[in-house]
Amino acid sequence: MPGTTQQQVFEIIAKQAKVDVANVIAKQAKVDVANVKPESTLKDLGIASLEAIELIFDIEEHFDIHFPEQQGANFDNDTAQSLVDAVQKALDEKAAS
Amino acid sequence: MPTVETRRVVVTGMGAISPLGVGAGALWNGLREGRSAIGPLRHKDSGALRVKIAAQVPESFDPASGIDERTLPLLDRTSEFALHAAREAIAQSGIDFASAGLGQRTAVVVGTGVGGELTQDEQSRRLYEEKATRTHPLTIVRLMTNASASQISIAYGLRGPAYAVASACASANHAIIQAAQMIRFGMVDAAVTGGTEACLSYGALRAWEAMRVLSDDTCRPFSANRRGLVLGEGAGIFVLESLEHAQARGATILAELAGTGMSADASDIVMPNADGAASAMRQALAEAGLNPEDVDYVNAHGTGTQANDSTETRAIRLAFGAHADRLAVSSTKSMHGHALGASGALELVAVVGALRDGVVPPTANLDQPDPACDLDYVPNVAREMKVRAALSNSFAFGGLNAVLALKHAP
Repeated sequence: MPGTTQQQVFEIIAKQAKVDVANVIAKQAKVDVANVKPESTLKDLGIASLEAIELIFDIEEHFDIHFPEQQGANFDNDTAQSLVDAVQKALDEKAAS
Repeated sequence: MPTVETRRVVVTGMGAISPLGVGAGALWNGLREGRSAIGPLRHKDSGALRVKIAAQVPESFDPASGIDERTLPLLDRTSEFALHAAREAIAQSGIDFASAGLGQRTAVVVGTGVGGELTQDEQSRRLYEEKATRTHPLTIVRLMTNASASQISIAYGLRGPAYAVASACASANHAIIQAAQMIRFGMVDAAVTGGTEACLSYGALRAWEAMRVLSDDTCRPFSANRRGLVLGEGAGIFVLESLEHAQARGATILAELAGTGMSADASDIVMPNADGAASAMRQALAEAGLNPEDVDYVNAHGTGTQANDSTETRAIRLAFGAHADRLAVSSTKSMHGHALGASGALELVAVVGALRDGVVPPTANLDQPDPACDLDYVPNVAREMKVRAALSNSFAFGGLNAVLALKHAP
């Protein structure tokens, strides 16, 4: 992308990440992607326990990233936005390495 | 309670291979000293793995020591552990299986979560990574889940019922219960029973990583800052007998296995359930003829996961009512790690030690009280106290619960 600053590249990734994370969540929750709001928790969407772990795995596979160990006690109370932020952080770290 | 005439069951020998060393004595001494065997993972792939810690049997353990050289090639690490622990238990009991056809009246029941995991992993690597077209010809006899039970049966000429019991992290307790019930109902006079696990393969470690239940610092049961379980390995094997059989031969009785309880949650495949766990504890108390206030110690399942420790606390309150606040409860997994299908057997060594020596082993690494875990967990330092009776809890993934009730030797 000639002429694009690094900041703009990250913004493009962030936008893409948001859509992709929402799609992965919607698929796991078996709901329409339009229903996945930034503030929706996984529990709100009916994703609990092992399903949440499976979702985290799906997101990791999709973006080829690793979430850190023990991000939370469990992921049930994480919001879609917090997962997008975590994906973003992992992608940034990957780009920087 | 059963209406048929039943017999009392006692423990007359115990043996262990554990992260705290070779022998039940090494395990018990480590536990009463509050010494944790959790350390950096020793594994040839440890650079690539995300899991960095485990509770492993020390490298000083020599599997070949005292094992027939023709038998050694037949053994997965699970069977090595089990045979060494069985030899110790049988020697301590002083039992002679050749005498008066006792071998015909002796059962072998050994619990294991997965059996020969290391053999399976190694042979898979040969096939899929090295593109070998053959596996080692002894692959099957090494990895089969019943291998440990069969090897013990062969080594000591034990010709009664012999088999493996698999119920993940409750395997050892379920196995011990099976053996005890056979003695109780007169099917056999003696049994060699316990659990064994050697599960720290590359594939299994990766699978545990993916479940996100492994701690990255240490095992901190019931502490607010607990971060998950720490995998372990090892074996605990016991000689059980009917009380009259033990008394007739003048055996030293270590403890009475007075009651047992088993239940299934029938709810979630991984999330624990306080009602299911409490039901198993109540059954164990009832079968042992114990009221809640007769019990002084509970060796908890206490894995160090968020879900187990708060749920188990609620379950203990459900089973014991007001007496829960007077119990000493500890999780020795904080020291020997979670040996999965062997864990109940390692913990039975702790319970027998507590009954005999009047010392409750501590919960190590408990430094931040959690409002959801509000019992007396004997934090960090062992406690000298009279232990009249004790429970040992094991709860498995799959919602399977198995609880032992132990009393002082009669």
